[in-house]
Amino acid sequence: MQSLSDGTLLDAIRGLHWPARRATRGAAHGSHRSHRIGSSPEFMQYREYRPGDDASKIDWKLYGRTERVNVRQTRDDSELRTTILVDASASMAYPLPGLDKWTMASAIAIGLAAVAIGDRDPVGLAVVGGTGVEVLPPRSATNTVANIQRVLGGVVPSGSRPLAPVLAMLRTSRRVAIISDFLGDADALLERAAELVAAGREVFAVHIVAREELEPRTLGSLVVDPEEEAIRRPLDEDGLEEYRSAFARWREELASSWRAKGIVYHLAITDEPADQVIRRIVTPAATAAVTGEPS
Amino acid sequence: MTVLAPVYLLAAGLVAAAVVAIHFIVTAEPRTVPLPTARFAPLRPVRTQARWLRLQDLLLMALRVLAILAVGAGLAQPVLDPPRRDLTRILLVDRSRAVADPAEVADSARALYREGDAVVLFDSTARRVQAGALDSLAALTRSPARGRLSAALIVALRTASEMRERADSFELAIISPFAAEEVDRATDSIRALWPGGVRLVRVAARADSAAPAVVAFDGEPDDPLRFALVNPRSAADTASSNVLVVRGTPDGVDSAWAANGDRALVHWPATHTRADGAPAPAVPPPWTARAAPDSVGGLAAGDAVVVAPFERWAAYEEAGGNAAGRVVARWVDGEPAAIEVPHGAGCIRTVMVGVPARGDLVLQPRFARLAAVLTARCGGPVQPGTLDSARLASLAGEPATAHAAGSALPQPEVSRSAVAPWLFAAALAFALAALVLQRRMARLARPSGAGRDA
Repeated sequence: MQSLSDGTLLDAIRGLHWPARRATRGAAHGSHRSHRIGSSPEFMQYREYRPGDDASKIDWKLYGRTERVNVRQTRDDSELRTTILVDASASMAYPLPGLDKWTMASAIAIGLAAVAIGDRDPVGLAVVGGTGVEVLPPRSATNTVANIQRVLGGVVPSGSRPLAPVLAMLRTSRRVAIISDFLGDADALLERAAELVAAGREVFAVHIVAREELEPRTLGSLVVDPEEEAIRRPLDEDGLEEYRSAFARWREELASSWRAKGIVYHLAITDEPADQVIRRIVTPAATAAVTGEPS
Repeated sequence: MTVLAPVYLLAAGLVAAAVVAIHFIVTAEPRTVPLPTARFAPLRPVRTQARWLRLQDLLLMALRVLAILAVGAGLAQPVLDPPRRDLTRILLVDRSRAVADPAEVADSARALYREGDAVVLFDSTARRVQAGALDSLAALTRSPARGRLSAALIVALRTASEMRERADSFELAIISPFAAEEVDRATDSIRALWPGGVRLVRVAARADSAAPAVVAFDGEPDDPLRFALVNPRSAADTASSNVLVVRGTPDGVDSAWAANGDRALVHWPATHTRADGAPAPAVPPPWTARAAPDSVGGLAAGDAVVVAPFERWAAYEEAGGNAAGRVVARWVDGEPAAIEVPHGAGCIRTVMVGVPARGDLVLQPRFARLAAVLTARCGGPVQPGTLDSARLASLAGEPATAHAAGSALPQPEVSRSAVAPWLFAAALAFALAALVLQRRMARLARPSGAGRDA
């Protein structure tokens, strides 16, 4: 898995953009197309050129005078307030001791935040775990990604607090990414997410699945749900195939139900490079494919 | 079956019970492993899984318990009891130099012997015939050694202890001429340890066994040793002597002379370091030359002890192939100074003691007594005569036909169980089987790859 500490993940996703799936109604300036069509673009300010900026917006006359590369910012560039909701329940602390699911969720959250910040979108974070809900309001400051990384690094997944109530409070965000294994309140979460979509928000669902959940290796034992002790079932060679098919069926049903509500659903396996998952999420073509919409 | 150390069996039982208890405590709850997606596992009764596990667990527990019990049983030394008899005889058969006719001794022993009885042959030492007692009696020959009833009685007591579970009572029979020399100061004390009468079967004593030593001397005329001997005859007069002392190197004639009669050839080298500086004579085997001759200052042979600067130049290793030699004299530090080995009907005695050429030691009575022992007839000095009727009655006890009860005999000091090694082997097999089964179960229960769970 790519390391967050040495910056290899951020290097791998440098230059990516996370465009809005449709034109926004945002009042503040940003990199997304605005609904304010018909009026000529109104100049607001110059900003120093950054890699990834649209080259057509470079003011070459200004470059000729000052020999400094600046881009023109106009009112038609709207920003997209983004909040990343991360599930830190006990089921994310698996498998021990590597906590691959939590590591993957953190990497995706940080990566998406970095891409959004690169697009000058304010990014916030909401982490729901056993100790409570930790929230970072959306900010577009340059240290936002570092703050998100710090918060996630201090979280130890535990408990089984529901995500749906927290999602309902994120109505101010134009874009919400839910990173979870959806083994908790998946139905209520889907209901709240559908309400957000109906309200014109973009909702992304990133489903984290551990390789060890797909191919359990602890056979012949009594497997126990860490969030629900009452679920204790024997798992041996005979029951393995039945387990696999039931788990696959549930994943398919989950993906179908979320996509049917207009939510972008992505599956992330823990042994997959995080940058590939991020690339899949932010790429418009891939997003259209997973929601069934034309790109 | 008799268990020699039942406490080990009891201890093994307690340990096995503890193992069973621990097993059920530990296996009451099957091993649980966290899995967030456990809800997708088929919903089966846990009991089904537990039964599958329990079968192997029970087998593992049984193997462990069997291993513990087998070790305990092996340490407890179980002995399978042979068929018990009413009466078992222990026959002490004399083959010493006092016996006139070994065939008469063998016939007397055969008359008493029954299958299952024990036969002990003795002269100066005693040994039990483990197998083929009748064959041993048929091949019985007379030994040149002096008989010792004390040694025979000790072996009889030990044998009776080992056989105490095989019979209700024991009868001790001694077939011997009962020469006076066969009894020593310890005989009565040892006899008193036998809890019953002793049947005495007297055979003819050898007529010449009590003949005194008549010493012939083959050495220099001025040899100091000559003066220590009582009336030594010349070497040419061996026809009328039964002991020949050779100060030089014995030849074939001397050896044949000793072998063809109850005669003792005493090889007593005159000196080791020659005054004229000539090479020293070779040390006769099985003696070995010492790196440097020395003197430990004292010598003991029989009842004679002499402290004098005797020269010591040879060493004798008692262990190993030299076990047949009988030590006649020892230095004060315990090393042998003279040995006697059987040679045909007689014996050859090697005395590696340097006699001081100076001084009057050889003229002193203490040295004369020492020389008498070293130049005695084969088997040591002869004490003439046989035991009188009163002495025999004391030896037989009252009444002589009273048998010793098996329960009155002492427990054997060391008893070995023939079953114990098999029990230990079985314990090892059980332990290995348990180990294999445990590993197999662990392999099935643990992840096979690099992934790790709680």
